[in-house]
Amino acid sequence: MKKILYVVSFLVIASMIITACATPATEAPMAEIPATEAATEIPATQEPADPNSLPRNETLYFNGQQWGPVVGWNPYSNSMNNALGIAQQDNSRVVMFETPYLYNMLDGNMYPLLADGDFTWNADRTEITFKMNAAAHWSDGTPLTAEDVAYTWATHVKYNTPVGSANMPYVENIEATDAETVVVKAKLGEDGKAVNPLLVAGYLSTNYVIQKAWTETLEARVAGDTTALLADTAEDVVWSGPYSKYFADDTKVVFIRDDNYWGQDASMWGKLPSPKYLAHVIFKDNAAGTTALQAGEVDVSQQFNSNVQDLWLTQGLPISTYLPEAPYQIGATLPTAFFNLNTPGLDQAAVRKAIAIAVDYPTIIANAMTNQSATFDQAPRSLMNPTAGEQASYDSAAVKDLQWAGNDVEGAKKLLDDAGVVDTDGDGLREYNGKNLSFVATCPNGWSDWQAAIEVVAAAGKEIGIEITTNYPEWAVYQTVVTKSDTPLPEGYDIFMMWSDGAGPTQPWGRIRKLMSSEFIGMPSNWNGNWGQYTNPEADALIASIPAETDEAKLKETYTALVKMYLTDVPSFTLMYRPQSFHTVNESIWTNFPHNGDGTNPPVPPLDLTDGWSIAGLYNLTLVNP
Amino acid sequence: MLKGYLKYFLNKLGWFALTFVFAFLLNFILPRLMPGDPVAAIVSRFAQGMSNTSGVQAIYEQYTELFGTNKPMTEQFFIYLKNVARGDFGFSFSQYPRTVADVIKSSIWWTIALQFPAIIVGWLIGNTLGALAAYLKGGFDKVLMPISLFVSNFPTFGMAVIFMVVFGVNLKWFPTSGGYGFDLIPNFSWNFIQSVIVHYQLPFWSIVVIAIGGQAIGMRSMSIYELNADYVKYSRFMGIKDRKIVGYVFRNAMLPQVTGLALSIGTMVGGALVAEIVFSYPGLGTTLLRAVLGQDYPLISAVTLIITVMALFANFIIEILYGFIDPRIKATQSD
Repeated sequence: MKKILYVVSFLVIASMIITACATPATEAPMAEIPATEAATEIPATQEPADPNSLPRNETLYFNGQQWGPVVGWNPYSNSMNNALGIAQQDNSRVVMFETPYLYNMLDGNMYPLLADGDFTWNADRTEITFKMNAAAHWSDGTPLTAEDVAYTWATHVKYNTPVGSANMPYVENIEATDAETVVVKAKLGEDGKAVNPLLVAGYLSTNYVIQKAWTETLEARVAGDTTALLADTAEDVVWSGPYSKYFADDTKVVFIRDDNYWGQDASMWGKLPSPKYLAHVIFKDNAAGTTALQAGEVDVSQQFNSNVQDLWLTQGLPISTYLPEAPYQIGATLPTAFFNLNTPGLDQAAVRKAIAIAVDYPTIIANAMTNQSATFDQAPRSLMNPTAGEQASYDSAAVKDLQWAGNDVEGAKKLLDDAGVVDTDGDGLREYNGKNLSFVATCPNGWSDWQAAIEVVAAAGKEIGIEITTNYPEWAVYQTVVTKSDTPLPEGYDIFMMWSDGAGPTQPWGRIRKLMSSEFIGMPSNWNGNWGQYTNPEADALIASIPAETDEAKLKETYTALVKMYLTDVPSFTLMYRPQSFHTVNESIWTNFPHNGDGTNPPVPPLDLTDGWSIAGLYNLTLVNP
Repeated sequence: MLKGYLKYFLNKLGWFALTFVFAFLLNFILPRLMPGDPVAAIVSRFAQGMSNTSGVQAIYEQYTELFGTNKPMTEQFFIYLKNVARGDFGFSFSQYPRTVADVIKSSIWWTIALQFPAIIVGWLIGNTLGALAAYLKGGFDKVLMPISLFVSNFPTFGMAVIFMVVFGVNLKWFPTSGGYGFDLIPNFSWNFIQSVIVHYQLPFWSIVVIAIGGQAIGMRSMSIYELNADYVKYSRFMGIKDRKIVGYVFRNAMLPQVTGLALSIGTMVGGALVAEIVFSYPGLGTTLLRAVLGQDYPLISAVTLIITVMALFANFIIEILYGFIDPRIKATQSD
């Protein structure tokens, strides 16, 4: 009896295992299949051979952009959570919607996309004129004209969209003088000059052109209500770009190539982009994304993969970065530690500079960035990112004696001694106005690369007789405190990390403004910069003079003066360089990705193959095994 | 008899209604007590590209108005109450303009499809093993008992991580994340169903294995108790066949286990959300995690409300059934 039971129990368990495996097969997929949605989303003209699977050698997979489910496809809205499709920024994502021009962060130039030829300023620099490419048309086949450009702007203004409210202080109007010609009128100051010509020109490579006819449909649907317009998910949107929506659920988003894309005209790309599908699986975190990259399930990785070189050196995978050696990536943004200029002690430039020069930057770069950042010997600190264009914009020789590469403990001590900030009571801590110098360094909890950097900053304090403790609030709390610039920062935010602008058509001016301009002090919700609340009228005047300046020599002089001020006053200091987008590629399926010195002209920047001029890279891709 | 039962029923209903009111209040208040400003988080998502100062402020105000976070919390509560009564949980903050109902609708089926079979299978296997251990004794029991004790005390996430490392990362038998293949679009093909089954295994078994342990321990104790009961001995003396006796024994031992099953199903949705998160499995767990990270009050409130209501409902049903099954409970309660 018992023996039989042993056998029976084994059989029962085995059968349960089998049934258990079978049960979900009928339940799980049924719940999730948006059968009707998927069917309606696929444009009738481009029915793929097998609508249910993405052939590996026709699909380019991304990670690091999309961290949650896509909400919609509305190019007027900023809340579609559609990172792969919609991003109007310095290097706009031109997968589904397109801008008149494409910015190339490597050479700093703007290249025409929807536009035909370069744009021109009038003599007073108050108006920009450009022509539209006659070949451009919408996905519904209708021509894309200057009228669409003008109507897009009019809609932004009428509904006060994020794009509208951001640009209205600089752009007076955008008009179509005929079907091909667009005139962008700059807002003029009291002196009759454009308020900010730099931002007016920047508009052309930053903002999408949206179809007038579809916009009118949308307006009718929302009956003129702004909130409804921005919340509309735009399932019926008309696009002009090479890809459009194909599938989206809680786990992924897929775009399909539009084989009627206008850009295959000889006046633009002359062909279609190589991948038929662009897909992005939504990963839980960086670790999950790295696992997929290793497994060859991701081709283009726009996320931080720690110790990226191990992927090819140790694991022997066909994975590479834009540069073959450290720093592997092209640095573009400057993660920065800000000093709270209202904290007693930190209001002294000597104290700020002493802390900044004592910090062990090589350790930060090795720990926080696993060497995916140029060092401060390779790219000496200024206000510029390490790209050649920005490095050439100031006179580095003139500020050489102000720059520091870190670990200068003796220099820091001397600086403090000379300023009279010394330890008089022998407790090992220096005093200022009779009080021990003790600060809190902070950044959001869980931002491990930033936390690693902040720990190194705190360690530097100990070396020079300044107590620096660390504290890591949740991002939800941190961001509310740091961006509240209408009051002094509270206790616990003496030294804190935030970002700075990357590469774009208005840089380095935009970054310098956000690091140094006092115009942001007083904002109850400041998402721009100068969070430490630095005030220097001289710097403000120089920053304000740059956008209208056309004389290259004068510009260089101004930038050099600003770098001098920044390195002397040290209101904040750069801790490392970080790329605009991390760019790591797996060449198991696709090859011919942009790499340094790949011979492309103009050079294709390492930006996901979707942003600004980097989309040119999509046309260069070839299959490893055709 | 019926009057006494009605009194018992109303008494229970009253208490559950009261519990529900407090649970509902806490569901609303607790997420909102988190420090931080969800609207600032939303604004931060797109303010980085904006170079003008008033623009960001305008967007911020637009969203505080839309989500009502600029109103006092009591006012927010009554608006929430009114909307929930109509079945409207409002917009999700973190996935705006998606509604909370839409977000939950697309994730809850994954959770049910994962947890319901896991609970049933864990229960069946656990009880079978427990009963066998009690009956077979000896080596089987000596091996099973310590293993069950060990396994049942594992937190779900611990088991999930072990399974992921062993079977996903090292052995590469199963994928480590997602609900179906990275290269598929959901459809009714064999290819897709197979992919779902493969992705299902690790989260499923990490829940089942823990459930088996707990159920086996309970069933074993009950069975041992019943096997030593007088009626068993008496039946043996009477010469009744072993198999028949075993049938009686397990039916009696089963009763409390059935209660346990009902409770597990009631608390199912809240049960093992962590396993979903570990495996990036689409479902309520992942949704809840995203909601918490995004300070998505309406979504957090709605998900926790579902969990609360299901747990309360299951408890209520069990209490009522107890009243029917065991008159002693009703008698003591209604005194």
